[in-house]
Amino acid sequence: MKAFARKGATYVATFTPDEAQLLQQLCLQIAELMGAHADYTNDTAVSRLLPDAYRDDDEAAAEFRRFTADDLAGRKAANARVVVDAVAEAAAGSAPAKVVVGALEAQAWIRSLTDIRLTLAARLGIETDDAPLPFGEPLVDAYLWLGYVQESLVRVLR
Amino acid sequence: MPDTLEEVVLDQQLLLGEPWVTIVWNDPVNLMSYVAYVFRSYFGFSKAEADKRMLQVHNDGRAVVATGTREEMERHVEAMHDFGLWATLQKASE
Repeated sequence: MKAFARKGATYVATFTPDEAQLLQQLCLQIAELMGAHADYTNDTAVSRLLPDAYRDDDEAAAEFRRFTADDLAGRKAANARVVVDAVAEAAAGSAPAKVVVGALEAQAWIRSLTDIRLTLAARLGIETDDAPLPFGEPLVDAYLWLGYVQESLVRVLR
Repeated sequence: MPDTLEEVVLDQQLLLGEPWVTIVWNDPVNLMSYVAYVFRSYFGFSKAEADKRMLQVHNDGRAVVATGTREEMERHVEAMHDFGLWATLQKASE
């Protein structure tokens, strides 16, 4: 991957086909997870993506969730699909390819990269700032790489 | 007509009710640069202010990022959840 750079009103990065495919797969999983979000009480990843809005008031939290969770999950799934579409060509190619992201799309990217990292962290049991990363887990490489992708985009965002 | 400015302020408080706050909590996943970006772009904080609140989240475990009506705070919390930040609202007095 070649880090994001600003070019006019767009942001441009280079992804290998493997990287683009990985990004696609993870985004598709987020979209799927958000389609089945009713399971939030039993899935730490879903409960982190759709967290309680009230800490000490279960009733208010349930009410808030009733009014907002469907839309929130829908927006997260839509953000993930923006990334899937953006890297489709790079994923189907045979050589590293440029991916051009518009300003609006970039907002979907930073949100979706966050959602993926939150989900991976939940799966890996990363719960505190000083928790040692379980190196050797294949998901850890993806987690760290996605952090690099996101940092590179956030750094150039207007 | 109220006689003093103080009375006007009190009347406004009666209309608005008790103030609420939006709190962002620390998590081990979100990048410091990203949290600061969210504070800048969404709340319109200056870079210095955004960095200050981001460090407050990081070091103290939480930071108040907005104060206002309950409805406004619910909108902010939902927006923070869009960004993947862990946010809640509560009465300012709690």
